[in-house]
Amino acid sequence: MNILVPIKQVPETSNVKMDPSTGTMIRDGVESIVNPLDLYAIETANQLKERHGGKVTVLTMGPPSAHKALREAIAMGCDDAVLLTDRAFAGADTWATAYVLARAIERIGGYDLILCGERATDGDTGQVGPNIAAALNIPLATYVSGIESVDTGRGEMSVWRMTEHGYEQLLLPLPALLTVVKEISFPRLPTLRGKQRARASEIPAWGAGDLGAEADKIGLKGSPTRVVKIESPKVTRGGTVVKAADGPEQAVDQLVAFLRGRDLV
Amino acid sequence: MTTYGTITRQVIDELTAIVGPRNLIRDEEKMQPYAHDETPEEQYSHMPGVVVTPTDAQQVAAIVKLAVKYLIPVTPRGAGSGLSGGAIPVYGGILLSLEKMNRVVEIDYANMMIVVEPGLVTNEINALVADQGLFFAGYPMSLESCFVGGNIAENAGGGKAVKYGVTGQYIMGLELVTPEGEIVTLGGKNVKDVTGYDLKRLIIGSEGTLGIVTQATIKLSPLPKYKSDLLVLFEDVAGAIDAVPVIFSKGGITPTSIEFMDKLSVHTACAYLNEHLPYQQAGAMLLIEVDGSDQEQVDLDAERIGELLMTHGAIEVYVADNHTTQERVWSVRRNIAEAFKVYSPHQSLEDIVVPIAAIPALMPLVDAISKKYNIAMPTYGHAGDGNLHTTLVKNPESTMDEWYAVEEQAVNELYDAVRSLGGKISGEHGIGLKRKPFMQRLTDPVELKLMRAVKRAFDPHNIMNPGKLFDVEEQA
Repeated sequence: MNILVPIKQVPETSNVKMDPSTGTMIRDGVESIVNPLDLYAIETANQLKERHGGKVTVLTMGPPSAHKALREAIAMGCDDAVLLTDRAFAGADTWATAYVLARAIERIGGYDLILCGERATDGDTGQVGPNIAAALNIPLATYVSGIESVDTGRGEMSVWRMTEHGYEQLLLPLPALLTVVKEISFPRLPTLRGKQRARASEIPAWGAGDLGAEADKIGLKGSPTRVVKIESPKVTRGGTVVKAADGPEQAVDQLVAFLRGRDLV
Repeated sequence: MTTYGTITRQVIDELTAIVGPRNLIRDEEKMQPYAHDETPEEQYSHMPGVVVTPTDAQQVAAIVKLAVKYLIPVTPRGAGSGLSGGAIPVYGGILLSLEKMNRVVEIDYANMMIVVEPGLVTNEINALVADQGLFFAGYPMSLESCFVGGNIAENAGGGKAVKYGVTGQYIMGLELVTPEGEIVTLGGKNVKDVTGYDLKRLIIGSEGTLGIVTQATIKLSPLPKYKSDLLVLFEDVAGAIDAVPVIFSKGGITPTSIEFMDKLSVHTACAYLNEHLPYQQAGAMLLIEVDGSDQEQVDLDAERIGELLMTHGAIEVYVADNHTTQERVWSVRRNIAEAFKVYSPHQSLEDIVVPIAAIPALMPLVDAISKKYNIAMPTYGHAGDGNLHTTLVKNPESTMDEWYAVEEQAVNELYDAVRSLGGKISGEHGIGLKRKPFMQRLTDPVELKLMRAVKRAFDPHNIMNPGKLFDVEEQA
């Protein structure tokens, strides 16, 4: 089972500061890491490989320094990596990013499954995974929380996905693309041997020319998204206070009505 | 045995005149949190007669003078995160909490020092000076909640002591209110100082029995830019422990930390945190950190240690070299004590320390005591400096009375084992109330005589944190 895992290198946001005047992130001195939610896709891919054989290839679009993220994935057990890097890719939105990743995936070829993290912790859109599936015209399941079964012979897999109301089970023909949520696995730590292998790995770097990417579909030019304004949301948690002034029974009635009104009981 | 005065209306009035009504607590419910620290409450807690929260050294001195006048015991207290009962007002009296003395007096970048009051949360120092590439290297594991004053009183150690040592190495100067209510400055900003006895060092680790620290001058160190952690799995405890001396003798590297966790400790902390470290396959783990100012060197050091351990019995070496993965592994180590409290509230958290080379010999002795008394004795701690937090956990089937009897006997045997290897009964938590009964038996009588003489010289009225460390009067 050959699995591709597109990942993203993101700034480590646990201790990130925002510039209050511009509303943008202060990136100075902030470490770059593998998008934490992509680790679940990497882990799931490695587990599937361990069970069904095949190999796991990670790929990312980013600056040349993004090879670090790919090496971290190799240290966790992935086999190969491809870096998509070109000045012409800069300024890409989710649409242009997915286009480049899809072209790279077509070039790699021979895949059974594509696994993506739910979203990146910096952009938070959750769009790139579904966009890749659309660009490749393959089946898609988002928010996958568990894999029920894989039948490589029949070329299909059964997965559980989270919805707003619970879980649903889907049967997908392969190749397919899944975006996975945290519940699916516990990411392993990279090993020393993995780190050594990662350091020795040669990671090919593909540019726009290697992918035969159309110039007007990549980078800023190929990005229909326009950022009009960025502001920090104000958190308000006012809540509703149910007072027991008229006796606890009435308060309980009010609370039950409140919950019923929101379909919670 | 000193007979102490009681907290009369007169005493309250005079205390109120010193600190003001807002800094005095008499309400039983509000005094309750001051009756215990992190030792088991049912075993060691004691209510104070009155709680005062002075705001400067003059107030502290006036309170102590008043205590001398009426012969009332004074128990100084920091954050109450102690693990030996040092801040418990065992004779009631005045509980003097330093929580409101939490100012930063001066940051002296030219001398790389910071002057702070004792009620400052230790980690605040690091938060303040990190931007300048500095840090306070002597901090303990509880740095996010403990106070600087408590660190000094206990000479607290921690997870980085292997490379950086303990609190005392970084305390350059102290302002102290003596047990007679005088204010004195000991040490200062001089790197070298042999002007008379080193009384400052005597105060550090004296558990609040020789006076109350009201200000501290602390040395700051360059903050290492890079660090890398290794989580090393071994088949069993002996394998992990045997590997520790090898890191020093054959590795040629001094790591920042070498922490040891046995399977039970890792399992309990993982269950508490919903974390999934690969503990199932390992009987014990070492968590090793290296740091430095050069990324390549740090990676190289980590790799060399990893390689060395792979040839000395390690079954797997995991590498955590970014903040996220490092937080994952350290969180497990930091939460072990907390996790065991949830798992079983009745336990004795020990703090034994032996010379590093003696750790392999200690572990079978711990195991034998555990089997003899049929109690779980999970062990974790700072293997790199020989300081292990072996914990005695009550067997669920035994009654509390049986547990207390077993606890005492097992602790005694553990301490004997430690002593036979040239070790000591506390490495960083202190003697306080909890280990006082063992102190007399396990300390050289001459050493104890000298300690008593020091105590009497500082505190002739025996009012400063009495009932801790040892009894001033020799017991028959």
